[in-house]
Amino acid sequence: MNIFAMLAKNLRLGIQTIRFPARPPVTAAFRGLVRFDPALCSGCAMCRFRCTARAITFTAGKSTFTWSYDPGQCTFCGRCVEGCKDHALSQDSACPPVYLTIGTLKKAYTLQRKPPAEKAAAPPDPSHVSPPGAS
Amino acid sequence: MNLAIAMARLLLFPGLLFAVPAAWFFLWVERKSVALMQQRIGPPFPQPMFDFVKLLGKSTPPRRGIDGFLMRMWPLISVSASATAAGLLPVLPARGGFEGDLIFLIALLEIPAICIIAAGFSSRSMFGEIGSAREAVLTVAYNVVFLLAILSIAASQHTFRLEALAQLPVTPLRYIGLLAILICLPAKLHINPFSLPNAEQEIYSGPMTEYAGAELAMWQLSHGMEWVASCGLVATLAIPQFSHWAVNVLAFGVLSLVLVLLLSVLAAATARLAIDTTVRFYWKCTLVFACLILIAFVSSSFMQEVRS
Repeated sequence: MNIFAMLAKNLRLGIQTIRFPARPPVTAAFRGLVRFDPALCSGCAMCRFRCTARAITFTAGKSTFTWSYDPGQCTFCGRCVEGCKDHALSQDSACPPVYLTIGTLKKAYTLQRKPPAEKAAAPPDPSHVSPPGAS
Repeated sequence: MNLAIAMARLLLFPGLLFAVPAAWFFLWVERKSVALMQQRIGPPFPQPMFDFVKLLGKSTPPRRGIDGFLMRMWPLISVSASATAAGLLPVLPARGGFEGDLIFLIALLEIPAICIIAAGFSSRSMFGEIGSAREAVLTVAYNVVFLLAILSIAASQHTFRLEALAQLPVTPLRYIGLLAILICLPAKLHINPFSLPNAEQEIYSGPMTEYAGAELAMWQLSHGMEWVASCGLVATLAIPQFSHWAVNVLAFGVLSLVLVLLLSVLAAATARLAIDTTVRFYWKCTLVFACLILIAFVSSSFMQEVRS
């Protein structure tokens, strides 16, 4: 008989369907659109490697590289954000916007490659001390 | 019953002109009420009609040979039988009918089930054949109770004429019979918990899997008119006949609607049963109702003897 009480409660609470363009509320941990910060990206292409949906593409040149992201292909798994060591990627805590034409939300950035960070000078090895007089 | 009245009943009320919009309306009520009980919006009011018109405009895959011919014929036979069954309902008193029309009505109500069984096997689809086999088992199971109920109602009031039955006062035996018919209606209309032949999650649409376009539209219309004829049969047997025809029509419509709502609540509240459980349930129902009807017969005969 619980089911009839449940049905009566459902009738009393009313329709829960959300009509477009209203969007359902989301939690802070919701995985939405991937945001890209060009200033932080070093062009390692780890995000492209981790993107199983092929939403992220990466074209490498000698001095520049092009990073693009198509939310239409994205499954919002968050693996790219997780793997980004430079913290250049983040995800919105909101439902992705609705689009009517394929590729509307696609974004591409062409960036200059950053010069590789200079390696810090290795500390001298105390076991290999040069003999005095050796040049 | 003269020809003009027969044609008016078949084509106007409660036949085609009434039964087709009523079928769409009942289908909408069922879908909408189930949706509201599940906190969904449900379809807009004209959706069943839109579905019908849209399906009529779609092309059907070409089918050759006798199977193709039969697949086109089954929905047409089913619609014709349902519409004729609706036309036989004695909603308006003293407007026709003939001796034995109750038997004819029961036969007409069985034709859609037979057509569904045949359609599934004609389609040569694996899902269609499973659905047809289920429908056949289900038909055998619930029809024992259904026919028992109809026969007990007719025998208790010594007539197989629908109009005479509708005009006679309602006896306790008729209430038992109506209860038995009500228990059979979910199986007859393929709704939960007896939606075995068209179990979407298991066998797609069962016998309807291979159907499309105008043929599918006819199946949907036939299903809607089965709702009208089955609920209408219970309504005409349950309500007393009033002197004014408009009151009769109103009572018929309201009670049919209440029955549709009740069946929708049942459909929303229950899950599909397995075929063996269903058959066992209807066999138990047969035993219970047979005992009840026997007791009611014996007690009524005893009372008559005491009075005389």
